[in-house]
Amino acid sequence: MAAATEKLATLRHLLAERFPTVHRTTGRLLPTGIAAIDEATGGLTLSAITEIVCATPSCGGHLLFGQLLAVARRERQRVALIDGTDSFDPASYPDDLLTHLVWIRCRDTATALQATDLLARDANFSLLLLDLRDSPAADLRRIPGPQWYRLQRAVEPTDLALVVETPRPSVPSAQVRFTLATSHAPSAFEHERAALIENLPATLQRQRLQTATG
Amino acid sequence: MFAVLHIADFPLHAVLRLEPDAASKPAALFATSSKKSVVLSLNTLARAAGVEPGMTAPQAIARCPALIIRTPHPPAEADARAALLAAGFSLSPTVEDTAPGICTADVSALPSDQRESAASRAIAELTHLGLPATAGIAPTPLLALYAARHLSLSSFFPAVSDARAHDRNRARDRSLSSSNTTPNLLLVTDPASFLAPLPLSAADPSPELADVFNSWGLRTLGDLTALPRDEIVRRFGAEGLAFYQRASGGSPRPLHTLAPAQTFVAAMELEHEIETLDPLLFLLRRFLDRLTLELRASQHVAAEIHLTLRLEDETQHTRGFRLPEPTADVDILFRTLHTHLESLHTDASICAVELRLTPARPLVRQQGLFDTGLRDPHGFAETLARVSALVGADRIGTPRLPDTHRPDSAQLVPPRPVIPPAADPPIHPPFGLPLRRFRPPRPARLEFTDGRPSYLWTEYISGEISFRGPAFPSSGEWWQRDRAWSRTEWDIALSTGGLFRLLHTNNAYFLEGEYD
Repeated sequence: MAAATEKLATLRHLLAERFPTVHRTTGRLLPTGIAAIDEATGGLTLSAITEIVCATPSCGGHLLFGQLLAVARRERQRVALIDGTDSFDPASYPDDLLTHLVWIRCRDTATALQATDLLARDANFSLLLLDLRDSPAADLRRIPGPQWYRLQRAVEPTDLALVVETPRPSVPSAQVRFTLATSHAPSAFEHERAALIENLPATLQRQRLQTATG
Repeated sequence: MFAVLHIADFPLHAVLRLEPDAASKPAALFATSSKKSVVLSLNTLARAAGVEPGMTAPQAIARCPALIIRTPHPPAEADARAALLAAGFSLSPTVEDTAPGICTADVSALPSDQRESAASRAIAELTHLGLPATAGIAPTPLLALYAARHLSLSSFFPAVSDARAHDRNRARDRSLSSSNTTPNLLLVTDPASFLAPLPLSAADPSPELADVFNSWGLRTLGDLTALPRDEIVRRFGAEGLAFYQRASGGSPRPLHTLAPAQTFVAAMELEHEIETLDPLLFLLRRFLDRLTLELRASQHVAAEIHLTLRLEDETQHTRGFRLPEPTADVDILFRTLHTHLESLHTDASICAVELRLTPARPLVRQQGLFDTGLRDPHGFAETLARVSALVGADRIGTPRLPDTHRPDSAQLVPPRPVIPPAADPPIHPPFGLPLRRFRPPRPARLEFTDGRPSYLWTEYISGEISFRGPAFPSSGEWWQRDRAWSRTEWDIALSTGGLFRLLHTNNAYFLEGEYD
């Protein structure tokens, strides 16, 4: 057994020497202002799908959306929110934060995905937010895997960042996946939103792309 | 110098151009739809199949079973005439509507080395519009017309098989070789040598004159003009003089000029109702090809498109499209219509179509260095149109909060083309988590303990209420009975996790949303 392990290690070493791995790098990141995300990956990865799994109630999914809206607003970039279950509340945000937003109020998950596919191919958007947080589990299971990879292919050659919020891991082609698994306490009603954003506990679950360093 | 654009068998081609694939089939134009009607004109394919002018329909069908039979359609001819004139305006601002299928332009102001290329482009444009044209350029309008006709074999040399036809063809080839440039374009540099070999029929003599000159042994215009003019006038009077002048190529004359189109409208009553998308798109594409040609000729672009479809049940469908950026690009205009029509369903078939373009001067603006406008305005409009077709036009846009305290009253407005700089942060920063709304609010049942809600049931979530904030009552528009509203909200937390907004209105409890 030990001999087999040793041979395996030797083989791996030989392969690594003969075929050095070329890491795919993006080098393009959008700092989000959310410490947990910026420290883990450097920011939101452009030309990629980022999945945010909202595992518990009141974990801060829309808080995260609001922060991404603010970041894009500062950069004067156009954002589209594809609202899978029509749950976005514009009154929760300052007027100015909605100026650059195109809100698509969908009635079902399939329509939301079709709309996302169209918007991902438009050169005028820098950020797409797809909210499937409240989508029925059956609808999410029915989405074929190739449809997610098709979205990934649409996003890859662009400077677009596609963020998908789901109730459980559902996006097989997501290059980056974070989980929000902590429900906010009632004390959150008394805190400034900026403080809540800064302390948003997001945990990195997957990162398929190695970001450029240095 | 004058240029003439000529479309042989104009009424036939005017009809065929509006039908997909019709131009690639043998076709003939009959005076009426009765059985005794005869062939007025026919296309090259029908001629090759043995159909001849003057045949009745049964005779023509016997020669060519696949023959397409059409009758004159004045609206189609009007549209084709407008296309021909638009092509003429691309040559010169001085254009005359000489006759159906004939357009004369004064190209004196055009540099001589550009006349042929300009005429070639006009011919190509007309061919693209489904109108096979020829062009002649000559010192007089009549000479230019003769030159253009000379190239249109169907109108000048009817298909006969005798020695005279052979001689005519040889005469044609001689004149062509001296001054021909391209197959559809003839530049007359030496009028005398061009006219000399042409047959007498080229100058349209009356039958009586033709018989007399034929009996004299005169065969060509050169034979006629070799005779003294005064003798012709003495024997035949004014008619003889007019014919002699025509045989000499006429003289430069002032054109009866037209003004370029000021309105850009294409309309047609359809002979056969349209029920499917493809024929409608083909027709609209033809309209757009002609209208964009007119726009470019008049140095305009289209700012808006207005489409009207009149239906068989006497209703009509009207739709206006405001373009994000004025353009005369036919593909962009067509895509705008196509995207809309893909999702259109009508209760009856379409019996008339009208397309109107609102003209505008081309935008000449320099983008600001820090402008963040649209990278692709037309692509953006198309994307929004497609998404609107998916979700509904009232469910896409930029949210705008009206000046009211009524909850969930945001409206959707069209997205801005340019994103302004961000405003200064608000003096009072937002507190707490944003709300994720349940639309519609979810009915809730409450259990009370000591007069306070202690347990919550909904179809979505249930649990013990571990926290309840103070009540927040609100109301509004009490002065309007049908719009008055009144409600009380509480922020609550459940022991199972989650912060929610509990709502009491209309004597019932609801869960309005989750703080997320």
